[in-house]
Amino acid sequence: MSRLHDMGGRFGDGSIPVPRDNDNEVTNSEPTFKYEWHAKAWAITLAAGALGEWNLDISRHYRECLPPKDYINFSYYEKWLAALTNLLIDKKLVSLDELKEYVSAAKNGSLTKFSNKDIKLDHRTWLAKDVQKTLGWGGPSIRDTNLNPVFDIGDKVITQNYSPNKDVSGGHTRLPKYAMGRVGVIHSYNNNHVFPDKNAHGFGENPLPLYTVEFKSSELWGELAESQNDSILLDLWEPYLKLSPN
Amino acid sequence: MSEKKNITDDHHHSHDHAHSHLPSDPELRVKAVETLLLNKGLIDSQTLDELIDTYENRIGPKNGAKVVAKAWVDLEYKKRLLNDATSAIRELSYQGRQGENMVVVENTTETHNVIVCTLCSCYPWPVLGIPPTWYKSDEYRSRTVREPRKVLLEFGLSLDPKVQIKVWDSTAEIRYLVLPMRPKGTENMDESKLAELVTRNSMIGTGLPKEIK
Repeated sequence: MSRLHDMGGRFGDGSIPVPRDNDNEVTNSEPTFKYEWHAKAWAITLAAGALGEWNLDISRHYRECLPPKDYINFSYYEKWLAALTNLLIDKKLVSLDELKEYVSAAKNGSLTKFSNKDIKLDHRTWLAKDVQKTLGWGGPSIRDTNLNPVFDIGDKVITQNYSPNKDVSGGHTRLPKYAMGRVGVIHSYNNNHVFPDKNAHGFGENPLPLYTVEFKSSELWGELAESQNDSILLDLWEPYLKLSPN
Repeated sequence: MSEKKNITDDHHHSHDHAHSHLPSDPELRVKAVETLLLNKGLIDSQTLDELIDTYENRIGPKNGAKVVAKAWVDLEYKKRLLNDATSAIRELSYQGRQGENMVVVENTTETHNVIVCTLCSCYPWPVLGIPPTWYKSDEYRSRTVREPRKVLLEFGLSLDPKVQIKVWDSTAEIRYLVLPMRPKGTENMDESKLAELVTRNSMIGTGLPKEIK
């Protein structure tokens, strides 16, 4: 039970699109945004998010909830734009009629007819003068609570066998399918963080202990593991874990 | 009465996916949404310019390279970096969005670390900027946790079978940065020269720092 975004370990994907220079050497230089519309889709998503009508977990979940055919066919920033559009409508920042009106103008090249309008900025709108300050603050997810972690470093734990989100069928979670029902060891405890499984559905932040859990490659991939020595580490919230009986 | 279970998550927006009304050309799609939000006063064009300029010109892997170079020359700084990366990175004024909780993992002769986000594209923005296309690709996201050695080979990186690979899947709000090993023969180089050797890929674990010729 999962969605297409949860692709860790999946078979069938080809070579990594590693950029190479003229001498066929791997290059680290690549434009930040390949096309102007990539930059715009990204910046609009950040700016609309700053209106405060949704949180990071909600916006992630909207991208995950795109219909499977769209999720597969859309490029990265197309997914961002589609999810943003759905959010704008669901959160009533934009009406479907308005959207259709602008879309049809875009299609017949008449978007400029809207451009002479007197624009009155909404009181929530993110202003350029505040950009650096807001980026510098970020959006910390650690919360001060008096919750003590149940598990100790070195404890052997087993992850939930099914999607841990019990409130919503097909709901948001950050336990990937490839690590469900697997035994790992608590590597570290990282304070209490906002719980995405609740926060993505507007059920509150519900901060809970977050651990880094180490899994042996062979525990996840069996005999297909490339090396018995390798390991994979995931950051997992307490409800994803139980003490392993053996 | 029990709480409402079985709320299906797609219920409230799948009956009419607003995004299906968008034009097929992505450029037009963005233009339509952008113009609409601008005219409603919900976004400001100067803010968009400021954001794009910030990540195209000011925040990127050069920041991370300075952190790494400092750790190579200053053992006390390296200790602080491995112990509390968020604070140590803030000493260089790099902080904030998508870097609120930093962890730095050190490559040694025994261990090689690689960073991935299988569920989306989590990446430490204040030190590396916006992720490159390959980091966001399905291929990297699906394969790195299962066959990291094959993936690294595609980046031209062949690791000794005795070296342990640790793959860090960023499933929460912790953001990882790899501290690569300092290249041999760089004993006389200063911090700023060393920083020029630190590549972006070496801080994700899909590459090594440049060697000196």
